[in-house]
Amino acid sequence: IRSSSSPLNDPFLGISPQDEKYYKSSSEIKCKDGSKRFTKAQLNDDFCDCADGTDEPGTSACPNGKFYCRNAGHSPLVLFSSRVNDGICDCCDGSDEYGGNVTCPNTCWEAGKAARESLKKKIETYKQGLVVRRKEIEQAKVGLEKDAAELKKLKSEEKILKGLVQQLKERKEEIEKVEEKERLQKEKEEKERKDAVLAAHPGKGDSEEKKTDDNEKVDGGTDGAEMPGASQDQDDDYPDEDTHHDEIGNYKDFPTDEEPAAEAEPTSILEEATHTNPPDEHIVDTKKESPSSEDSLTDGSQNDASTKREESDEVKKVDDLVSEKKEELSKEELGRLVASRWTGEKSDKPAEADDIPKADDQESHEHTPITPHEVDEDDGFVSDGDEDTADEGKYSDHEPEDDSYEEEHRHDSTSSYKSDAEDDLDLSETTTSNPTWLEKIQKTVKSILQAVNLIQTTPVDKLEADRVRKEYDESSSKLNKIQSRVSSLEKKLKQDFGPEKEFYSFHGRCFESKQGKYTYKVCGYKEATQEEGYSKTRLGEWEKFENSYQFMTYTNGDKCWNGPDRSLKIKLRCGLKNELMDVDEPSRCEYAAVLSTPARCLEDKLKELEQKLEKMMSQDQPHSHDEL
Amino acid sequence: WKKEEFRSCDQTPFCKRARSRSPGACSLIASDVSIADGDLLAKLLPKIANQSDEDQIKPLVLSLSVYTDGIVRLRIDEDHTLNPPKKRFRVPDVVVSDFDEKKIWLQKVATETIAGDATPSSVVYVSDGYEAVVRHEPFEVFVREKSGERRRVVSLNSHGLFDFEQLRKKAEGDNWEEKFRTHTDSRPYGSQSISFDVSFYDSSFVYGIPEHATSFALKPTKGPGVEESEPYRLFNLDVFEYDHESPFGLYGSIPFMVSHGKSGKTSGFFWLNAAEMQIDVLANGWDAESGIALPSSESRIDTLWMSEAGIVDTFFFVGPGPKDVVKQYASVTGTSAMPQLFATGYHQCRWNYKDEEDVAQVDSKFDEHDIPYDVLWLDIEHTDGKRYFTWDSALFPNPEEMQKKLAAKGRRMVTIVDPHIKRDDSYFLHKEATQMGYYVKDSSGKDFDGWCWPGSSSYIDMLSPEIREWWGGRFSYKNYVGSTPSLYIWNDMNEPSVFNGPEVTMPRDALHVGGVEHREVHNAYGYYFHMATSDGLVIREEGKDRPFVLSRAIFPGTQRYGAIWTGDNTAEWEHLRVSIPMLLTLGLTGITFSGADVGGFFGNPEPELLVRWYQVGAYYPFFRGHAHHDTKRREPWLFGERNTELMRDAIHTRYTLLPYFYTLFREANVTGVPVVRPLWMEFPQDEATFSNDEAFMVGNALLVQGVYTKGTTHAAVYLPGKASWYDLRDGKTYVGGKTYKMDAPEESIPAFQRAGTIIPRKDRFRRSSSQMDNDPYTLVVALNSTQEADGELYIDDGKSFEFKRGSYIHRRFLFSNGVLTSTNLAPSQARLSSQCSIDRIILLGHTSGPKSALVEPLNQKAEIEMGPLRMGGLVASSGTKVLTIRKPGVRVDQDWTVKVL
Repeated sequence: IRSSSSPLNDPFLGISPQDEKYYKSSSEIKCKDGSKRFTKAQLNDDFCDCADGTDEPGTSACPNGKFYCRNAGHSPLVLFSSRVNDGICDCCDGSDEYGGNVTCPNTCWEAGKAARESLKKKIETYKQGLVVRRKEIEQAKVGLEKDAAELKKLKSEEKILKGLVQQLKERKEEIEKVEEKERLQKEKEEKERKDAVLAAHPGKGDSEEKKTDDNEKVDGGTDGAEMPGASQDQDDDYPDEDTHHDEIGNYKDFPTDEEPAAEAEPTSILEEATHTNPPDEHIVDTKKESPSSEDSLTDGSQNDASTKREESDEVKKVDDLVSEKKEELSKEELGRLVASRWTGEKSDKPAEADDIPKADDQESHEHTPITPHEVDEDDGFVSDGDEDTADEGKYSDHEPEDDSYEEEHRHDSTSSYKSDAEDDLDLSETTTSNPTWLEKIQKTVKSILQAVNLIQTTPVDKLEADRVRKEYDESSSKLNKIQSRVSSLEKKLKQDFGPEKEFYSFHGRCFESKQGKYTYKVCGYKEATQEEGYSKTRLGEWEKFENSYQFMTYTNGDKCWNGPDRSLKIKLRCGLKNELMDVDEPSRCEYAAVLSTPARCLEDKLKELEQKLEKMMSQDQPHSHDEL
Repeated sequence: WKKEEFRSCDQTPFCKRARSRSPGACSLIASDVSIADGDLLAKLLPKIANQSDEDQIKPLVLSLSVYTDGIVRLRIDEDHTLNPPKKRFRVPDVVVSDFDEKKIWLQKVATETIAGDATPSSVVYVSDGYEAVVRHEPFEVFVREKSGERRRVVSLNSHGLFDFEQLRKKAEGDNWEEKFRTHTDSRPYGSQSISFDVSFYDSSFVYGIPEHATSFALKPTKGPGVEESEPYRLFNLDVFEYDHESPFGLYGSIPFMVSHGKSGKTSGFFWLNAAEMQIDVLANGWDAESGIALPSSESRIDTLWMSEAGIVDTFFFVGPGPKDVVKQYASVTGTSAMPQLFATGYHQCRWNYKDEEDVAQVDSKFDEHDIPYDVLWLDIEHTDGKRYFTWDSALFPNPEEMQKKLAAKGRRMVTIVDPHIKRDDSYFLHKEATQMGYYVKDSSGKDFDGWCWPGSSSYIDMLSPEIREWWGGRFSYKNYVGSTPSLYIWNDMNEPSVFNGPEVTMPRDALHVGGVEHREVHNAYGYYFHMATSDGLVIREEGKDRPFVLSRAIFPGTQRYGAIWTGDNTAEWEHLRVSIPMLLTLGLTGITFSGADVGGFFGNPEPELLVRWYQVGAYYPFFRGHAHHDTKRREPWLFGERNTELMRDAIHTRYTLLPYFYTLFREANVTGVPVVRPLWMEFPQDEATFSNDEAFMVGNALLVQGVYTKGTTHAAVYLPGKASWYDLRDGKTYVGGKTYKMDAPEESIPAFQRAGTIIPRKDRFRRSSSQMDNDPYTLVVALNSTQEADGELYIDDGKSFEFKRGSYIHRRFLFSNGVLTSTNLAPSQARLSSQCSIDRIILLGHTSGPKSALVEPLNQKAEIEMGPLRMGGLVASSGTKVLTIRKPGVRVDQDWTVKVL
């Protein structure tokens, strides 16, 4: 097989088939930019006449020129003229190197075969991915409807419950007013009594008065403690609202590694707290352990001199430190401090500075020790209006998807996805299956109110008063739960799930990838983190999709010393599974990753690929004859 | 920049003392003048005999030597026959070995009594036009013209500020310690500083003494009308985030000052001394109250030179032209090494390209965007825990394969190797250096232990030739595992940088071989390190190929060993601006292969700044983009298609001009004349150019004006001289001697070809310079008013030392009487053939309208037509059309003529 052709043999070298007519039609050819005309003799004569390179499609003479190689057996390729006769084989048919500097073997057949195979595989992935995607879309529809239904229901419940709570509150306040009156009355009487005694026995009053106060205080305390104790409801283990609220958070956010959320057992919102119990205890345990394990981790790293990779840590105001502290520092500390100016590394660390978990991580660990209390709050209250601060993602190249098709060749990262359980509980189902709870409450409240009403006169029946208080506390705690659920549902429904809601399933789900010592975790519509042992760095909060859903961006992550706030840009591409891979930090604290997902297996793209393959195959036919 | 961490002159006792001395304080007189071994010898004695034995001032020994081409060397040291406590340090291996061959053996001394003097002075021959005078009382040395008014050129001690603190023996109770912040300098030999004044006559400005980030023409630091200022400091320091306008010393020190005046005459003064130096430029009238009157006081510039240690080893250069002075300096310290061709292309660096995948990715992006580059760099993170000569095996598991992949595209790689060695017993280099005793010692004699990137580190003692040789051997393929022939080296942190040392460097009382104190050798430490590395690469290639080593620290002679860059600058417009005076200064003082980090090391340049920096940087002799690891990625394709196009065009401009640059590097290699020059070097009579440091000449033919301001689309450009200039972008003609408001659209900065010159180009774009070898040339002939032009082209194999054996092509192109002639400039034995042709000759400023040309000896006709000035350029493609001789078909290695018909 001849691998190269000579320009003399082929005056039309480097011209694409579509263009041949342009060059062959007349004896005088126009530069495409209209700047000039040139003769046929000047075509490919190795001297550039047209600034746009029209006259030299087959040589390197024009800086702006393009060279077309047919690459029979493979796909044609268009090269920069700068590649022609530069001694490097660019075209698989070797047609770009005819100058004799180098001999290029024709590798098109093998390369073409491989490319076709790869394309076929890709098409297969797209086809299968499309099926998954359609399913996802169906599910999203159902899920969204459910969400909407639940929201509607919750809202009406909220309205009713609000009324009840208000009634109870009023009643409670009435009772308290009466009680206050009684107390004052009592006090007055007592005082009168005491004054009388004092008048009889001057000098002894002070101590007695004090004693009485103490008694009263004890009484009051006992009263309070007794209040929930009188309750008959099953979720009465939760004596105070705040705790209760937090536990909802815990439950929602606790990563249920073992069982995907969709399979979670339906739970009544009233029973939720009971279910919350076990994981909550677990979390508490973790919390307790974490300080000590953190310590041991730190110790371990101090001794570990073998880790090579130096990851710069964040130091705030290092320079100030240097200036202020320099006088008191040891030689080694001084060395570290000065070095840290360039590196941004935390300097007050022992020898193998690189191996120590990040300072920030440790801090953030203290504040958010992987239990997601704060995160839950964020979920409810962080506004969506952060788009202005979105990173424009300059680093990431908006390359066509073709280039990124590499699924088959990936084996460098372990990846899995996990639900972060948030909002995945299908509460609507349980509330409908258990339609009487609200009625029950209504009934109870009604009866209480009536009962209390009966005894409007003083003194207040203590039992009845406690009942009111307890019912009030429980109802308002339930109201809180509903309200928080409403707001999280409302927020969810405002999210951008894609034109066909194909990204709906990302909500409440996390994708993980372990790379070296780090575990990267990306949670849909929530946040992205980098975890190493017990330390956790927030790479960003969910921001938005970019470039027609080709990218997901997370911004406003943990602050980088001497750098931007951390951010993550994830390139999405078609794959059968949701799989996070290739997490990288191309620029300091600007992370990049790839997520393969069926959501990106688009029909149009599939058609395009199929056409491409068709073309490849058809083009292949005649040339494979040639090969024979 | 943390000012308080560095010593001011006031905190530096020797500087404070010297600076407070009054003119006329010197009481030494010269006596016992004689000639021995071709030198003039004399003793310097106190005028009044010593009061007591305690403060005995022993006579100093003076020797004055003369060398060809107008060089006077003056040395003053203690008298070794009088047993001083220690030999003062004389800087070795800086003056080139063949300098002695240029010595003129003085035969006799003439005497002459200067008007007003009681005693006669000694006069010796320097050259046909100059003589040197040693005035006995008061002691003074100067060089003057022989004829006419016998104008003085340069003088020393004309203001009697000469002071030489002699070494003393420490007596009981003497405490010579000096404290600075937490550091104590034990100073076992006490004060040993030297200071003196130097005057330059017929001087409008003085220049030189890098490295400072400041204006090219040096501003006065002391005297009437001068704000409180530090002297110019020469002390090699690793300065974090340096200011763009400060006399503060940076990474390098070259105690060489050049003076230039209205008469167009230039002179120079060089003090070979490696200790800390401080130099004041004194404002006119500073000496008004001293009563000292010097001949031709007008337009004289006085300077005060102060050094902490060492000896007086000074050189007077008489000029008289700017190029004469740089040639004279080069004959002492050497010309710049001839770089390999690839090193003159574009370099892509970042702290850090993280791993092999990152390297592959960046490399392929250049191709994807059709941007040429020649070298990809790896900073400290590529190593195994900052142990140089090693690789992080997780990030760079296959370094050889990685280099080979780059090499397949003609590209090279550079890795960093610093002088601090990690104190880790399992590290082979540390083990060996410890065992061999190759480390610098602390004042107690133990291996000095300082802090740098790897943590606790020791520093190789580069002062010793034996250790340097050993160090060089570390670069063999066997010793440097993972290195290949396409790998070159970057020497950073060689001031040396010691993070926990005084002023971020090594304590002055650390000890080098032979008991030399670090204070004596400090400024040359990085130079010896650079030398050792560079020599190591030569040995690696068995003496065949030229090395490439980039250094940050600088000393006289650095030019012989490789390129330098201006260190950790910042992504600010002012840092772009100051890069030009910094590079002009370096070029003037011998270091022509220099560049600033394009884009600025610290911070994130806005795209406009980055584009402008590429446009200016394309003309830096050393052209490298670099960035700190905290910055955003900034490779040229990351700022949108338009900006990519602009940066690509800037880089293409450089590649187009590579034949011209390479020819200029050869000129610098032969003569010492720098590649990038101040305007006044080409136009010494044109006073308007003297303080211009915004524009610069590339060779004798190109004038470039940078754009240093945000949002500017115009630039005021002064075009010097009487001849015309052609706009490089559109060929438009401008008359010289005027300032123009030139367009500076985003596509380009103003650049002009001087009428009467010929510039060789290669207009085809490739991936890297390697693929350009066989590409044809374009000659751009810029005709002057007499329709003449002249230019040169140097070609060799681009990499080996064969050019030293005559394997090169050196052509002269002369256009005269309508004929362009190519003649051989190489000696007859020079031989190298090339298949390269000249396929395009552009005629700028041709007055008639020729239609064809006759090519001899081929006896062929070539067409002449109108064509673009530059192919593929962003501006020229739509701009003016110029006369173009199409395909003359002549070879670049042959004699030929092209006659315009």
